[in-house]
Amino acid sequence: MKKKVLSALLAATMVVGSMGSMAVLASESGDEEVTLNWALWDEKTATYWSAVADAYMAENPNVTIEMTDLGSSDYMTVLATDLSGDGSDFDIVTIKDVPGYATLVSKGVLENLNDRIEADGIDLSVYNGTTEQVTADGNLYELPFRSDFWVLYYNKRIFDEAGVDYPTNDMTMEEYDELARSVTKQGFGNDQIYGAHYHTWRSAVQLFGILDGEHTVLDGNYDFTKPYYEMVINQANDGVCRSYVDTNASQLHYSGAFSEGNTATMNMGSWYITTLISELASGNYDADLVGDWGIVKYPHPEGVEAGTTLGTITALAIPTSSENKDAAWDFIKFACGEEGAKVVASTGTFPAIMNDDVIAEISSLEGFPQDDASKEALRTAQLCLEAPYDTHITEINTVLDTYHKDIMNGDISIDDGIAKMNEEVGKILGE
Amino acid sequence: MEAAAEKSRKRRDRKRALVAYSFIAPNFIGFAVFTLIPIICAFALGFLKWDGNNPIEFVGLANFAKLADDTFFWAALKNTLIYCLGTVPLTMVASLALAIVLNQKVKFRGFFRTVSFFPYVASLVAITAVWQMIFHPSKGPVNAILYYVFHVQNLPNWFGGKLILLTLILFSVWKFMGYYMVIYLAGLQGISAELYEAAGLDGATTWQKFRYVTWPQLRSTTFFVVVMLTISCFKVYDVAVMLAGGGDGKLGTSSTVLVYYIYQKAFQEWDLGYSSAIAMVLFVLVLIVTIIQFRGEAKYEKD
Repeated sequence: MKKKVLSALLAATMVVGSMGSMAVLASESGDEEVTLNWALWDEKTATYWSAVADAYMAENPNVTIEMTDLGSSDYMTVLATDLSGDGSDFDIVTIKDVPGYATLVSKGVLENLNDRIEADGIDLSVYNGTTEQVTADGNLYELPFRSDFWVLYYNKRIFDEAGVDYPTNDMTMEEYDELARSVTKQGFGNDQIYGAHYHTWRSAVQLFGILDGEHTVLDGNYDFTKPYYEMVINQANDGVCRSYVDTNASQLHYSGAFSEGNTATMNMGSWYITTLISELASGNYDADLVGDWGIVKYPHPEGVEAGTTLGTITALAIPTSSENKDAAWDFIKFACGEEGAKVVASTGTFPAIMNDDVIAEISSLEGFPQDDASKEALRTAQLCLEAPYDTHITEINTVLDTYHKDIMNGDISIDDGIAKMNEEVGKILGE
Repeated sequence: MEAAAEKSRKRRDRKRALVAYSFIAPNFIGFAVFTLIPIICAFALGFLKWDGNNPIEFVGLANFAKLADDTFFWAALKNTLIYCLGTVPLTMVASLALAIVLNQKVKFRGFFRTVSFFPYVASLVAITAVWQMIFHPSKGPVNAILYYVFHVQNLPNWFGGKLILLTLILFSVWKFMGYYMVIYLAGLQGISAELYEAAGLDGATTWQKFRYVTWPQLRSTTFFVVVMLTISCFKVYDVAVMLAGGGDGKLGTSSTVLVYYIYQKAFQEWDLGYSSAIAMVLFVLVLIVTIIQFRGEAKYEKD
């Protein structure tokens, strides 16, 4: 499959390459026509890419923005391969995650944006502190374009039938655990109601631990994650959530788990909001099962402000090999700025800049839950990035993912798994 | 006169050689560009540190020294070796047994041959999905039988822990035996019927016929089967990722294999030198096993 991706990439590069040379010809002819090539994923299904590109082109008729879809699943690998060696034809690249960003930074293929940010007086404070978490040795190589944060989705029908109060916007982990247990109903087949569901990602379980703001995945000691592994594994043992073994063997997607209508609550990123709305509108999800849904703020450890949650950012950057850096920067300023944020929000997606306008825009989408708690849930207090920048973040994540899998699969005990995490990450940090 | 004849003969020879080379060229150029040169580069990379962009650094044997202390490398190596030790003999025995049975004049022979070849041609993605359903820890028929018929209380997880390697081995035997069965069938049909006739006249039992006629006659086929199987088993990647990877295709320490680890080091962490060093270990392993097999074959030939 990787081979297929690579060959598709090669083909795409060739096509794009020929377009690139045409663009050079056009710009040489004198009327300052610029074609910018933008690397991204899911061009057809995610509408915000073209919405932003169209809005920019409407204001700048001399600029043509071409989008190259590298596919979602292996996006960062494909992009890193493309940017390896002497160059590529991209002028703007989307950075999907921080480990991928760290890889590209250490490869030295991204343009340092410090001077441009300073010259244009870009105010980084609008990005909620996320830019600080991706600053590498004082240098910033990307600007946040989209941002997602984790919330708790819940199925109101299940709570109504069980006669249990809905989740609230201020729940401690203990309250959340109790709530999930109280709404659970043991039964055979379709009668089973799960109080909670955790996707197989490490972020869905382990990263409850970083919400306290004192710990990150770079710590080297992961003893702080133990209570959360215990909580989830106990829930699985008690039938409160599906076991990891089952979810993994069925390759159950979180959207499948939630839309089956037997999952009362599910922690997941805000990206799922648009999916839920559109799948319900198109009839792919059964509205009788899951049509009445809501969101609340992420549960948090005792003593932490409600609204503190996990976050991810999707950012834009300029490859050093680009020949149109100034034009690319102008586009990035637009896309990552207030104007771009408005356009992104109008498609139901969360831009990196969150303000009242954006929240109003998203909560007024048709299909967004109408209760006040769901609207309020969109206000975050503190965004802890799933992975902050570090030169070793990819290796650390690999180690953590490996032992997360071993722990959740029941191959090793929680204590042993965490001890192995400490030991192996210690080796990486000690290098 | 003599000299002229000599000259024209030489020219003819050269022309012949050129024609031959021109036929070899298309294949060889492809092989050189996509296989030979990358292999040579991988050898060199094993002694370097390179991420594809930054200047290349010579690190000598550091990459190999690092292997000694690498938990994940040893886990991957161990799993790969267990997988090979399980898959190679089992597949060989299964395909030989199938071939012998389906070489008899049984009814619907063609149908059963097709049936046993089917797993080999079926798409890996589709049949791993089916296996995942059959062996599903809580909903699969295998565990249902264990629970309802044999009253097993702690139902096994076929996709994790120690069992995942067994699942991988069983899956591979089932998938590949059809292919090697065809090779064995060809070998069986190459054995002269006279040998069996003579053995029958001497009063040989069925087992003796197998032991002293079939098995020695199939030796070169078995040699080929074992070498091909060994090489393909060491290269295992897709089966492991599809069966054990779950939704995100990530492998834990109980299921990781060498090729997966090489891919991870190379294209996720961009440590091309280190991953090449692991690839060389894999290469040397396969080489040693193959040399031993060749030696064994040569020795047998002499005896």
